[in-house]
Formats: sequence, C-alpha cells, structure tokens
Amino acid sequence: MLVNKKRVKRNKSLDKFFHGFFMAMALLSASFIVIIVLFVFAKGISPFLPGYEYGQVNIISFLTGSLYRQDQGIYGIGFIVINTLVCSFLALLLSFPISVLTALFIAKIAPKKLGAIMQSVVELLASVPSVVYGVFAAGVIAALIKDLASSLGITTFGGSSMLAVIILLAIMIFPTLTSMATTAIKAVDKDLEQASLALGATRTQTNFKIVLAAAKSGIFAGAILGLGRAFGEATAVAMVAGNKLFGPTFDLFDITRTLTSTMLAGLKETSGLDYDIRFSVGLVLIAVIFVSNWVLNYVKKKVGNN
Amino acid sequence: MKKLLSLLVIAVMALAMVGCSGNSAGGETKTAVINVYTRDASSGTREAFEGAIGLEEGELTSNVSEVSSNGDMATKVGADENGIGYVSLTTNFEANNIKPLSFEGVAPSNETVLDGTYKMQRPFMYVTRASGDYASEDLEQLTAAFVAYITESEEGLSVIESAGGIVDYTNAKPWAEIAVSYPVLNQDNSALTIRTCGSTSVEKCISAALEAFQPLAGNVNYAMNQTGSSDGQARVLGDEKDGANAAEIGFASRAFKEEEDVSGAMASGEFCKDAVVAVVNANNALENITASQLHDIYAGSVTDFGDLK
Repeated sequence: MLVNKKRVKRNKSLDKFFHGFFMAMALLSASFIVIIVLFVFAKGISPFLPGYEYGQVNIISFLTGSLYRQDQGIYGIGFIVINTLVCSFLALLLSFPISVLTALFIAKIAPKKLGAIMQSVVELLASVPSVVYGVFAAGVIAALIKDLASSLGITTFGGSSMLAVIILLAIMIFPTLTSMATTAIKAVDKDLEQASLALGATRTQTNFKIVLAAAKSGIFAGAILGLGRAFGEATAVAMVAGNKLFGPTFDLFDITRTLTSTMLAGLKETSGLDYDIRFSVGLVLIAVIFVSNWVLNYVKKKVGNN
Repeated sequence: MKKLLSLLVIAVMALAMVGCSGNSAGGETKTAVINVYTRDASSGTREAFEGAIGLEEGELTSNVSEVSSNGDMATKVGADENGIGYVSLTTNFEANNIKPLSFEGVAPSNETVLDGTYKMQRPFMYVTRASGDYASEDLEQLTAAFVAYITESEEGLSVIESAGGIVDYTNAKPWAEIAVSYPVLNQDNSALTIRTCGSTSVEKCISAALEAFQPLAGNVNYAMNQTGSSDGQARVLGDEKDGANAAEIGFASRAFKEEEDVSGAMASGEFCKDAVVAVVNANNALENITASQLHDIYAGSVTDFGDLK
C-alpha cells in the first residue's frame, strides 16, 4: 500500500510537470503571433510618424495614391489595394463554381473508387509549392495568354497580365475550395437527402436544392479560406504580375501589381524607407484580409439564414 | 441567395465589359510597340544602366514592367517579342532567347569591355588606408595581401569573375607565388577584422572574394558596411577615417572624383569592370542602339520600335 501511494504521488507530480510543459509550449507558439504582429505594426507605422529618419510619409497619400515609384520617392498604394481585390475576387469567381461542382461530383455522384482518387488528386494539388505554380504560370499560362492576345491584335508584356494572375490564383485556391466543399457536402444529413428523394425529387434536384443548400455554410467557409490564400500569395503572383508602376488596372491583358508582389520586389537589396514601407504595405494587406473576411463572414451569416 | 447571385453575375459582367473596352483600345496600337522592362529601384544593374544612358533619377517613364532579378529580366524579355531590357554581361543570352545589342556600334564582350571601346560599363575601384594608419602591423599586411589577392592572383580574379565582374587575366599569377611575400598569412589571424565600406554594387564580388580569402589568411574576420560609392574614400582616407564607420578598404563603382584624393593610400586602383548589356528578344531585328535612343525609350518619349530608325 505504502509503495502504491508513493507511485501515485510521483505520477501526480509528473502529470503536473507535463501540464506545465505543454502550457509553456502553447504559450510560446501563441507568443510568436503577438511578436510578429507587434513587430510588423511597429515597423509599418514608423514611416508615418513625425521625426522618421528618412522623412515622414503622408499616410493619406500613401493609402490613396495611384503611383508607386521608389526612385521618385512616391509611395501610393491605393491602386495596388484595388488591383489586389479585383484579382482575388475574380479568381474566386472563376474557381468557385468549378470547385463546388467538383466537390459535388466527388462526394455524391462519382463511384466510390473514382471519388477517392479524385479527392487525393485535389489534395495533391494543395500540396504543390507555390513557386512551382509560378513557374507553370510564367511558362504556360503566360504563353497562352500572349497567343490569345496577339490573335486579338493586342500587345501584352509577354503574357504577364492581370488575366494570368487571375487564372493562376484560381488554380491555386481550387484545392482549398474543393476540399472544404467536399467535407461540407459529405457532412449533410442523409435523412434530408432521402426525404427529398422520397418526395419524388430527382437526384440532380436533390443535389442542387437540398445538399448544396444544406452545405452552403461550409462551402462559404472554404471560399473565405481560399480568398485568404489568394490575397497572401506572393511568389507565384510576382512572376506573372509584371509590376506596373501606376494603376489601377482593369484591362485583363495589361500588367498589374499586387500588395504581395510589391512587398517582394527587390526586398533583398534595399534599405531605408523603401525597406520599411514594405511593412506598411504588409499592414495594409493584413487589414484588407481582415475586412474582406469580416464582410464574407457577414454574407455567410446572411446566406445561412434563408 | 438568388439576389446575391444575380448581383455577383452583374458584377462579373460589368468587369468583363471594362476588360473588353480596354482591349479594343489596346488593339488599335501597332505590334511594334515597345514594352519596356526595368529592374526595381534598388538594383545595382539599374543604377549602372541609367548612369550609362544618362537617365536622371525619376526620369524613367511609369509605363514599364518591373522585374525582380537579372534572370527574371532575361526570361521576360526572352518571352516578349516587343520587349527591351538590360542584363549583366555574364548572362546566358542564347538560353534565354534574348539578343545582346551593340551599344554605340560596339558589340559587348569581355574584350571590348576590357579595352574600353564598349561604353556601357563602369569600373569597380578600391582604395586602402594610408601606410602606417592601421590598428596593427599585421592588419596592414593582411589588407595588402587581400588587395594583391583581388588584383593579381588567378584564384582571386576567378572568384570575382564568377560573382559577375569582368577581369583581366593577362598579368595574373598563381596565389601561391604571391602569398610567400606575406608571412602574416601563416599565423592565426582570427582576432583581426578587415572592414570594408563604400559602393553597394561591389558587394557581391567583394563578399565572394573575402569569403574565399578568409581560409587563406589565418581565418581573418571581415565586416562589410557598404553604403554607397561616396563613402568609399571618405571612410578610409577622408574625414570619416577615424570615425565609427572607419574601414580598411573602401570601394566605388565609378572612378574616384577629383575631390576624393586617393594619393595618400597604401594602394588604390581598379580591380574589375562591370558591364550592362541592353537586350531585346531574339526575334527582334534591332542590332545596335545608342545612348540617346535608350534614353528616349526609358524616358517614354519613344514608344514604338518603328520610331527608332
């Protein structure tokens, strides 16, 4: 009995130790986020404060400007924000229907084996590194767009264009959208479906009117995640965006500039204001993602209610 | 839900219309329009290029595409029949489907750069502290040895060449022959630091050379603080030579100016050349270009290849 008591005591203290250890790990990983946000915020806000060592930047002209010229010291990112929003939302619009229909096929229509194969294909797509997508976009998508444009009699910058960015992003967010939608569709209550079929609805009617309607909240969550990826994608986008110095760009065949490609361009070689301002651009990007997530969540709630 | 969907559809259609109207406007221009490519503003190649064609800071047209690296420039111009850009001379032109243009009638090559006939080039210069003005005798010897390494030794020149510099091998000797005259190299120098300053453009060449030099020189340390050519002479011989930013060797990516007196230095001179080449797509008929033509293209006053002739 005495031995047992000792062991119990020891186990308890061991438990306590690991409890504390795990807690410390959790705190450590959580503190990274705080450190990163604080650092980016402190760096990003500094160019707008009086007494900034490389000359204070006017925050209004920074946020609304339509010209970004490091050599002239003009940093306006208003048009870049618009470009980023336009590219990301058009990519989402392009990818959304394809993804939802693919998910419906995988979850409901395809034979079990084919469905499983398709699902792993989609998962594989999600694990392809973004720079590989970038090489593909620069080599294949851009070349196709160049040919398309020249057959229409339009000159492009070798295919680098807003259209290339949109198609690239649509491909990149497709796996996120599809796997979220597949999960959501698979989670729909079987009873609902069977009730619909029992009432005489066809398979297709059931799929579109019952299954998709019941899964729309999950599908929307996928759209939000996908949009986040579209906003944040830098490497691949920078390879086909062309980095225009002014804007905004609405012509699909014209080159464009996104927030991420702006942050990335020449980062390794620069210093001073041109370096610090990238943190400000990063802050704006975080804000843009925040706001659009909030708006989409609002829409999701609205859609979920009726 | 339906309302939302129809709103989305309308938004897409509207955007598509905007896209189409933009297209037809673009369609009226001729196919010989020039697509101008440039590097980002922090690039040393861009600085050299703009200097050579006389483009003032900020004079560049806004109607350009900014690329992220030398390789990116080569790929983009190689994929664009209407493109024009500039790369360093060490670029593989054929593999990237680009054509190097003659500048003022002279084709770019190592020979024309070294004999000075190809003008789109700049010298990389070095200058050391004055004799006796070093923290220790050993440091002075090490500095002299490093200068010998980057100017006279076959090994040093090849390191600089692979970092993008254009070097002249005619008077080069094997390092082993040179090293015997610097006995300081045989002792442990890990407590000493060679500091460099000046041009940022030389950074790639010099850091490669210092890295290769370190094991040959008793593991001497080095610290690079490259801030711009104007600091090159000032921090080894000028007013800042005893300040916090003082250095043993200063660099400039241009000839030293008259007010930058280097006569007091233990050693000074040129250690390699840097050349920039204007390039067009391999399918472009253009062969030669002048500084003023390039200036007009990059300033935006010429926008069509047809207007060049």
